[in-house]
Amino acid sequence: MGNEETPQSQSTRRTTRSLASVIASDYDSETPKKTISISHKPTIKNLIYEYNKPLSLDHLLSRFPARSTQINEVLCHLGPLNSPMLPLFIYGGASTGKTSIILDTFRHLKRPFVYSSCRTCYSPKVLFESILNQLAFHKRVEENGYVSVKKCEKPSDFANFLRESLVNVVDILKEKGAKMNVKKTSAYTWGNMVYLIFDDFELVREWDKSSTILPFLFGLYLMLGLPEVGIIFLSKVSPDSYYSNSGHIEPIPLYFPGYSEKDLREIFMQKQENSERYSIVLKPFFRVTRQVDELSIAFRPVYEKYCQLLNDPGSNFSWETKQKREDAKKRLYSHLAPYIRSSLNEVFEISPLDTEAKADEVKGKASSKKRGAHDEELDFHMSVSAKYLLISAFLASRNPATLDASLFDPTGGLDGRKKRKKCSEKATEQKEMAEQELLLKGPGTFPLERLLAIFQCITSVEDISVDEEVDDDDGAPVVNQVAQYDLTSNVLLQVSSLCNANFISKGSSCPLEGSTRYKSTVARSLKFPLSRYLFRR
Amino acid sequence: MASFDDNTQFVIGMLRECGLAHKTIIIVLDEFHRFAQGKQRLLYSLLDAMQSVTSQAVVIGISCRLDADQLLEKRVRSRLSHRKLLFCPPSKEELDRLLECLLSLPVSSSLPQSYIVEFNKELRKILADKKFKDTIDTLLSSDSTVDQILRFLFLSVSSMDLKTGILSVENFMTAVVRMNRQPKLECTKDCSILELYILVCMKRLEMREQVSYNFNSIMKEYKAIHDSFQTPDYYARNVCIRAFEHLLQCELISFMDNRRNNQSIEFRPVKLLISPYELHQGLKLNQSCPTILQKLMDQIGKRS
Repeated sequence: MGNEETPQSQSTRRTTRSLASVIASDYDSETPKKTISISHKPTIKNLIYEYNKPLSLDHLLSRFPARSTQINEVLCHLGPLNSPMLPLFIYGGASTGKTSIILDTFRHLKRPFVYSSCRTCYSPKVLFESILNQLAFHKRVEENGYVSVKKCEKPSDFANFLRESLVNVVDILKEKGAKMNVKKTSAYTWGNMVYLIFDDFELVREWDKSSTILPFLFGLYLMLGLPEVGIIFLSKVSPDSYYSNSGHIEPIPLYFPGYSEKDLREIFMQKQENSERYSIVLKPFFRVTRQVDELSIAFRPVYEKYCQLLNDPGSNFSWETKQKREDAKKRLYSHLAPYIRSSLNEVFEISPLDTEAKADEVKGKASSKKRGAHDEELDFHMSVSAKYLLISAFLASRNPATLDASLFDPTGGLDGRKKRKKCSEKATEQKEMAEQELLLKGPGTFPLERLLAIFQCITSVEDISVDEEVDDDDGAPVVNQVAQYDLTSNVLLQVSSLCNANFISKGSSCPLEGSTRYKSTVARSLKFPLSRYLFRR
Repeated sequence: MASFDDNTQFVIGMLRECGLAHKTIIIVLDEFHRFAQGKQRLLYSLLDAMQSVTSQAVVIGISCRLDADQLLEKRVRSRLSHRKLLFCPPSKEELDRLLECLLSLPVSSSLPQSYIVEFNKELRKILADKKFKDTIDTLLSSDSTVDQILRFLFLSVSSMDLKTGILSVENFMTAVVRMNRQPKLECTKDCSILELYILVCMKRLEMREQVSYNFNSIMKEYKAIHDSFQTPDYYARNVCIRAFEHLLQCELISFMDNRRNNQSIEFRPVKLLISPYELHQGLKLNQSCPTILQKLMDQIGKRS
């Protein structure tokens, strides 16, 4: 069953005009394409990671500063050439170096392996086909129509095909080994073993058929019965969470612990000189998170600021005597401290508006709030009516339905609310309980009609309350356009796009549920006096 | 692609033919409890064929579940002869024999004879050592299946010193340490201070007998601790959400419901997956744990 389309079959089908033009252009560029496509066909050497760039053991150990015990354990487990192994299960937190260490260890050992990540191979079919493609040295390219070498959906088929391909590859390896031993030309000795690596294994638990796939993959080693195959699993979660009711064979676990503060310092030192000055920054961030990826993103702006200070010709930092070093450190720290404190409270995200924020820092304003607003505003490409709909959804989910009349009455029912009676003890208790409930329950549901009613009320009332806001340099054009909003079908379409973007979620029997995110930024960007409409008990 | 009925007809036909040719067929069904899922059509037609057709065949089912035959439907169970063979894990004497048998090098192998002799001599010394025997007993008292033994031996052999090529007691001891893992403790040791705060807040909420709590209640508790004790570690909400997500990933906490209602993570009820004792141990072992948290944990411990 070929998915490849020959030009002849295409002409017998009904062709649209665009398709016909594509066919025409194909004929023209066919010959030059053919010469380019006789490119690199994968061979067994492709199964070895970076064959032309060998990695010595010392180099391997120095690339991963705090991981020498783990690397040694992996090397012990894999053993010398041609030693069979039981399946290995490596687990550890995020960014602890599992994938990179395994790949570099195999680069050092120069042994062939087949790598597949359960994140890019998001279903059993894709996983099975990816592994079979790699073992058959087949690359999915344009010429063969991106078709895999074998269609494989069921585990039963996969077991058979895998066995065939593995036996094939092992035979090729044995042949090459025998030939090379006779010739004794190359320094590389071909072993008999091939390894299968499954990365991001914890995602398999969330697949549809995980209850059959998990025991199947764990039992792959026993099922194949080939001593020349080694299997390695990499996962973020410990093997305990893979236990299910069925008995499956447990692989040998290996834990990659998180980094301690000293280790983190070593890791960051690898790229920078002037080590000790890093320590003032590392300590406060270390209290929040220990993941290398989050820390490196957080450190970059701080380090830039730090370098800026050091390179400033006005300040003179001398590092000769110990006392002067301490002084210098104190000065640096006092300068950086407010910046560190504010950036600790940032979520560790990359902000492209760094340059703008830096300008504000120099002026001396506490610009963290402004940076935050910039970050969130970036995501906000919504039409004005969509923003109003979002506000209406928020109000509808927060306020009880009975208050709508008094809150939204355009003829001025707003001031009746301001009176506050003295509350008795019981009432305060009830208030607390109600607050608690609000914390727990989350946003409420509302029917579509209520949302539209509130929307119309808000948009008609808008011109009254807007005058309170004084400075609106970029807000001015927005404000003038508000006027009267008719409930056109465009506005109704916005509701469905808000649902799709997950700002409003659809419940059963079509009530909608408001979401809490972005409420303040929307209100701020539209200069909407949200607090007036919000019901506070 | 043949249908189920076609295949059943084929099997019955083949069984009859083999019976006429006086050939016995043994059908082995591994992981028998999986065949017992769903409608058990395969089992029914197979066992039915055993009885009705003139065939010399036997069906053997293998399962790790002791109650595999209880899973069968009535009509299938009636066609089963209730013969069960129980394979127990090896006893203590068998274990000793097994260890020696698996580890010693056979005399007829291709390695030099002097090496084999020395290897086996050292091995026998280790196996007779009392400390070694005690450690093995403790390890295998929790799980004495052959699988566990194989993994333990593999770990010991893989840490063998390749220069001398002789096994030593240290190899076995390192293997025992590797086998005795405490995953939740490992995770707690690796938590950052903010994450520890979140865990302790959750524990305090549980102690107050609050049945269900979510991220917002935890934040309230966190603020309360900060107000009463003036801790230096008070971070913004979005940083705390990141730490919360990290704890979810490590499986130290989890949601109580299963993806209900598309609610955002701040409102879904959560629970701790780690016992108070483990949390206490984890706090003690964590090198950077602030003393305030230890104090709070002790308070909780005294109250319970």
